[in-house]
Amino acid sequence: MDLFDLADRRLAWLDRRQSILAQNVANVATPGYTARDLPSFAATLAANSSPAMARTAAGHLVGTRDKDLTTVQPRPDARAPDGNTVSLDQELTKIADSETSQGLVTSIYKKYLDMFSMALGHSSS
Amino acid sequence: MELSKALTISASGMEVQTTRLRVIAENLANQSTTGSSPGADAYRRKTITFEDSVDQASGTEAVAVQNIGQDMSDLPLRYDPGNPAANTDGYVKLPNVNSLVEMMDMRDAERSYQANLAVMQTTRNMLNRAIDLLK
Repeated sequence: MDLFDLADRRLAWLDRRQSILAQNVANVATPGYTARDLPSFAATLAANSSPAMARTAAGHLVGTRDKDLTTVQPRPDARAPDGNTVSLDQELTKIADSETSQGLVTSIYKKYLDMFSMALGHSSS
Repeated sequence: MELSKALTISASGMEVQTTRLRVIAENLANQSTTGSSPGADAYRRKTITFEDSVDQASGTEAVAVQNIGQDMSDLPLRYDPGNPAANTDGYVKLPNVNSLVEMMDMRDAERSYQANLAVMQTTRNMLNRAIDLLK
């Protein structure tokens, strides 16, 4: 697996995770909502992420819920009386973490591209 | 693109918190609205609930307002025979709005709005960095 492929997968994973975390934050006041998260990237990579079914026609149903989502185990004291398990500080920490990882991956990707252009004889920027 | 979905989801979160703030403003504005005819009910506090909603077209799961209802708890009574809304015994029904509860609710709505905004800003940074890869 080359670096581009790895970076590609990592970025796709971070993309999906960001929208799931945004969902958790948006539902912070929804009764009975359970906070969700993706399995860790390492686990996803190890399972070699079997590809999802492609939507080749507009009439195909969009999967309403992702099957591979894991629910976040709330701290015992974190469940609100209305059954909501979203903990804002936890979610925001994860979002900050996603942002940092994404910054790291995009920088590595860029550096790698620069190496290619250097090998091709262009002056690196 | 998942990141633009994240933006839509955060926007829906901000939208429902705005609606919640509107309901709180209505409650606070009406905290001394009594009925107009003798023995009539006063203003009842409005409540708002949210639900997890799925947009079938884009496959995003966002949040929406489920219902704006009324708080059916007992209306407090006050003895005020001169009031036009007083019943035959001279008691007036007052709204069941507790300004302390509304204030707490308002703070909660504000914090949730801020959290959604923070997520939106982070998502935007991530999008910008992805675009910078092209430079």
